[in-house]
Amino acid sequence: MTTTDQRQVDMMLNLGPQHPATHGVFRMLLTLDGERIVDMEPHIGYLHRGSEKLCENESYGQIVTLFDRMDYIANLNNELVFVRAVERLMGLEVPERAQFIRVLLCELNRVASHLLFLGTYGLDVGAMTPVMYTFRERERIQNIFESVTGARLMHNYIRIGGIKEDVPSDFTARVRAALEFVKRGVDETDRLLSFNEVFLLRTKGVGVIDAKTAVSCGLTGPNLRASGVPYDVRKDNPYEVYPYLTFKVPVGERGDCWDRYYMRVLECHESISMIEQCLDLLPDGPTMTQTRRIARPPKGEVYVHAENPRGDIGVFLVSDGSDKPYRLKVRPPSFCNLVALRPMLLNSYVADSIAILGSIDIVLGEVDR
Amino acid sequence: MAMNEKPTQPSPLFVPEHWQRPKQGRFFDTKEQGAVSLGKGNRPAPSLIKSAAPGVITARLDELAALARSNSLWTLTFGLACCAIEMISTHMTNHDFDRYGVVTWPSPRQSDVMIVAGTVVKKMAEPIRLLYEQMPDPKWVIAMGSCATNGGPYWRSYSVVMGVDHLIPVDVYVPGCPPRPEALQDGILKLQEKIRHDARNADVAPDALTETRS
Amino acid sequence: MTQPPKPTPPERPARHGPPVEVAQEVFDVQGQETARLLARVVGTNALESGGRDEVPWVRVERERLPHVAERCRDDQSLRMDMLHLLLAVDYVEHLEVVYILLSTQTLRKAMLKARVPANDAQVPTATHLWEAAHWYEREVHDLFGVTFTGNPDLSPLLLYEGFEGHPGLKSFPFHDHDEF
Repeated sequence: MTTTDQRQVDMMLNLGPQHPATHGVFRMLLTLDGERIVDMEPHIGYLHRGSEKLCENESYGQIVTLFDRMDYIANLNNELVFVRAVERLMGLEVPERAQFIRVLLCELNRVASHLLFLGTYGLDVGAMTPVMYTFRERERIQNIFESVTGARLMHNYIRIGGIKEDVPSDFTARVRAALEFVKRGVDETDRLLSFNEVFLLRTKGVGVIDAKTAVSCGLTGPNLRASGVPYDVRKDNPYEVYPYLTFKVPVGERGDCWDRYYMRVLECHESISMIEQCLDLLPDGPTMTQTRRIARPPKGEVYVHAENPRGDIGVFLVSDGSDKPYRLKVRPPSFCNLVALRPMLLNSYVADSIAILGSIDIVLGEVDR
Repeated sequence: MAMNEKPTQPSPLFVPEHWQRPKQGRFFDTKEQGAVSLGKGNRPAPSLIKSAAPGVITARLDELAALARSNSLWTLTFGLACCAIEMISTHMTNHDFDRYGVVTWPSPRQSDVMIVAGTVVKKMAEPIRLLYEQMPDPKWVIAMGSCATNGGPYWRSYSVVMGVDHLIPVDVYVPGCPPRPEALQDGILKLQEKIRHDARNADVAPDALTETRS
Repeated sequence: MTQPPKPTPPERPARHGPPVEVAQEVFDVQGQETARLLARVVGTNALESGGRDEVPWVRVERERLPHVAERCRDDQSLRMDMLHLLLAVDYVEHLEVVYILLSTQTLRKAMLKARVPANDAQVPTATHLWEAAHWYEREVHDLFGVTFTGNPDLSPLLLYEGFEGHPGLKSFPFHDHDEF
């Protein structure tokens, strides 16, 4: 008689906003029944900086800097999607060399972002070593970025109508030299972590999400492909010079944490091959179209989306013909990926919650904007 | 006190028995008990303990503790935004932060330093203050990046706090958006310097050093 | 809690610079096909339509918005299984709620729009169609004050309890805020 009543008493567990494993300031309230998670309430907004509102008060050229700071691990991918939205509204044709350099740098940034994920995800499930290796390789990529754009993290390099300036003369040699190290580093991490017994036990069959729920939650990127949906904007709605490149889109089967992790490892290899193709195909020519210094897109609205390391990032831009956007809305991939956290977490063990949260690879700057 | 009068109080200094005050000398007046300069510039008196026990370095306990503290700063693992990535980079392989004795610690209750790495928004203000209050004294704060310093690119946005110094006292500001790892290392070195300096000048202006910016 | 009265929008200064051009709305091949399919699915609910490149849009009555969205989702030729984005735009005299739908199977995109009067901002919810709608609606409610009738939980998502006003609206100032 009383045993059933006692079972009704659930335990509430607060996680965050300051927690070393939440990758930022994410807070969730878990309701536990013993070790099982029966309910979960996410709280975001601890990094809501009002970027979208600030964008309405800045000229188009300045907004690139705010996009840099939204997803601060994949800055160039973010710049690209905004710049493409403006260019499409203005009807600008970007020189081929600029397009190749943009794609090349975006893919490099994707590798850097995935490397950070591989390291920190190992850290989340208790492997201390991989993060040291991945950051070593990531520094090499950041050195390339620094030689090209002048900054390690906030580049402001992709501009409306092209890129800021041409790459340095030894760019190709530098990238090829760094790629050798990066390739070795990815392999090293792969050998060290992917098929580790403990790692497999922690991630296999944990946090499973089926394809139908994943699509309904708006999950995109490697997380969606891990569930078996082969949706990739680079392939399905190609932009820039992606039609010229040959690459495979890795697709998972079960949609568990390990699949989501391994998608990133495979994508690293694909991205490295894409970078090599770009280096081979890199044409000569100008890197900037002739445009007015202050961009004034014609009145209208446009929606453009692209593939970010975390998923499908989109920009909805309403222009009223002035030098500032009337309304700018970002479709943040991490925001939608977080919606899928609840179905993943329910009925799993509380000890797996960090492994599941880590496998989604959220960036809070983008979730909250 | 007149020059010829003998002091009623014994000298507060520890004087070992085998040591004898020099009767004649350049710097010492034989008529007076204390050490007094005879002019020719203000020369300091030689340390008593140095001659009593050669090879021993003396220091004030505060300074000694500050020296130890400044070389073992445990930072709170607390990343807010973009700067957190550079903070992690600083801790990782290439810019090894352990060289300065800086270790990350996931709990505020055993941490010495809070590196506020990123934009502080109004919703996060209370948790940050709570974290600061949970840290044991003595504690220091580094405001990393322009957002934590004064709002940075999000200046006067409707949800952003214009600098973390509106909430908690800040010891060192590291400029940059985001600061390079080298800049953060310099910030830590500056903080070490400040800790030692504060201990040295603790009785000079005790409140001025810990006062918050109003 | 009663909503604070909306402040009057500031007068926009006279515009300087070159005359305003209007962007051409031209479909590409896929967009034409999607627009044709969308027109068939939406049928007589459509008030106005248009589009650019591969994304056509249709404006419908706000009460019909979830119904039309459901038809787009269940139609075999469109199969819009993902709510890609839900947003609101403030056109001062009225708000516009926009659904951007995407199909992971047919790879088509479409926009559904509905005008909402500023003094009576209410739209039926779409949470029963897509789980993603829940957070989007909370966010739009936060920033624009649009109430989604039928949504069980419209508590603040990005903002905090006690925040006054709706920062997405044009009447909300950019920089004129009290320092914390």
